[in-house]
Amino acid sequence: MIRTIANRLKWNTVRCFTQTCSINSDAFLCQNATSLKDDQLADIKESEIKEISDPLRFPDYFGVRKLFRVKDLFDARVHYGHKDGTLDPNMKPYIFGSRLGHLIFDLDKTAKMLQDALNFTAHIAYRGGIILFVSHFPQHTLTVENAAKQAGEYAHAREWDFHIFTNSEKVYNGVTRLPDLVILLSTLNPQMQEHTAVKDAAKMCIPTIGIVDSNSNPNLITYPVPGNDDSPAAVQLYCNLFRDAILLGKSKKPVVST
Amino acid sequence: MAVLRELVVFPSKCLRGVRSYFLSAPLFQNGFLKLNESVSKDGHALDLEQSDTKKISKAMKSYMERAKIHDNFIKQQLHEYNIGKRHLANMMGKDPEFFTQADVDEAIRYLFPSGLFDPRARPMMKHPDEIYPKRKAAEFDVNGRPYHSLFYTSKPNYYTLMHDLAVKFKQLDRHEDKIISRGIQDQKPTELFLFGSEWIPKQKVENVLLETLTDAQYENLIKTFERFSQHPYSALEKDFIMQFRRQLAAQVEIQQVPELMRDESGRPYMTYNTRRKTSNAAVKVIGQGTGVISINGNDIHFFQREQDKKQIIFPLQFSDMLGKVDVVATVDGCGTSAQSGAIRLGISMCLRSFVNAETIERMRLAGLLSFDPRTRERKKPGQAGAREKFTWKKR
Repeated sequence: MIRTIANRLKWNTVRCFTQTCSINSDAFLCQNATSLKDDQLADIKESEIKEISDPLRFPDYFGVRKLFRVKDLFDARVHYGHKDGTLDPNMKPYIFGSRLGHLIFDLDKTAKMLQDALNFTAHIAYRGGIILFVSHFPQHTLTVENAAKQAGEYAHAREWDFHIFTNSEKVYNGVTRLPDLVILLSTLNPQMQEHTAVKDAAKMCIPTIGIVDSNSNPNLITYPVPGNDDSPAAVQLYCNLFRDAILLGKSKKPVVST
Repeated sequence: MAVLRELVVFPSKCLRGVRSYFLSAPLFQNGFLKLNESVSKDGHALDLEQSDTKKISKAMKSYMERAKIHDNFIKQQLHEYNIGKRHLANMMGKDPEFFTQADVDEAIRYLFPSGLFDPRARPMMKHPDEIYPKRKAAEFDVNGRPYHSLFYTSKPNYYTLMHDLAVKFKQLDRHEDKIISRGIQDQKPTELFLFGSEWIPKQKVENVLLETLTDAQYENLIKTFERFSQHPYSALEKDFIMQFRRQLAAQVEIQQVPELMRDESGRPYMTYNTRRKTSNAAVKVIGQGTGVISINGNDIHFFQREQDKKQIIFPLQFSDMLGKVDVVATVDGCGTSAQSGAIRLGISMCLRSFVNAETIERMRLAGLLSFDPRTRERKKPGQAGAREKFTWKKR
């Protein structure tokens, strides 16, 4: 359920259309939207606004920050990590503490990194990049595939054939354009080893966004997002957020091209 | 002649070609490739291609090259086939213009008689379209973006089927929940009846999906289908499931059930003559009845043994027709169990016309519809009976 809200700006020439997700309450939405508008446009001159040739100048051109709140993450049980003993040392900075033997993520840090990841996703979608959703857990296959379908992008939520990236010419019977961004809904496979796509994407210089749980290594991930990658509710939330970010990125396209 | 021999030999080589590719995709039909082919003839096509050179991705370019090579190859093969056909027509003294594929086959059978057993090993000459499988058309657009959302799994059709199955499973679950929450308990879900058919083999699945599957993938698919068909409401998706099942041969024979006949008073009836051991029975089952059973003018107490009575009642009870039809039977010869067995088969065969296909299949599986061929074994000379020997005594 995505509603479109038009924010009319001071200048008549520019109209910024922002799509927002219904996760947020209306009051929060309006308040957030106004504050962002001031942030974005404070230091931009009128002449520059006329041609938005470089959306990268804006901190949040697509409005992905409004897609979620920390409360949403909490409700979707994103803060639950694995047991104490399984902690990967590289995940230490993102841990808030331990409760009853289970690690708890610092959701403020998660939220910031998730915003960065969503922003990056929207930019890739805006530039017509191919985005591949990857997951290897049968439990989440349907969720992931549906999200990719709704976003008009691609999914690989099944058994990972080795050499998909590194020997794509053989796998797909010919030269094939590889994805420009890989979103891993879990960086581990069901055997609790690192997913092959992580290493292979790094080899092929494909940027990655990965939901890293407390037991996985974030080192090879371009945009790691610390959070729970096992709960269906959490996976559903990530899928919805990335789907909405992609749709936001795509919806901006015609405005710029004209 | 040498030329012809080559021509005749090439198709048998071609048989070993790689297969499993899609039929024409939208891109083919849109004429994108046709444009490319006719570049040399047509000026407009050229500048269209030139203007788009920057936009066309590497993937598309390489695909176009491959497609061009393939098209040229097919063209060449077609040319050779046509020449070969003309040669054959001339040799057979027929008009080359009206020389059909049937004539080609006949000519080759006559000119190159072969003693090889396997038909595929014998010389043949066929149209290239029949020998070379259709190539998969481009699965991505000019920018290299695939059309299918599961393209990167490398088996999009297979995984789409698995995805659809999962979606349908969820739908059935939701339906079941709805029924339960409404408190409808007396409405029993109709059971999906899968006897008499089996899952289609791997080869057929591959033909449907146009993709090669591993054994594990096929097994996984069948397991998923099995679980799906065991869902209490799977009958709602019967058409979908039946696409992936095929009828067993045994069932096809039983399905040729004769039509019911009508007597003077308009009641439907069916007759069947049968035998068991040396007894003969003529059975007539009449519909719209009250369950009257008449055997040689007596009622069911014509047989004194309980087992014989049970034999008569069993098919009626099994097909739930007890009390709905009347039975008139005449039987003679042999003993009581043979007589009752003959009547049982007669009644069962007649009942096929009164019940639906699923009941017939259930009756078949219960053994009601098969003839019992057992007869008395003859006595052998030098023995006391058929198998029994005389008492053996050491001198």
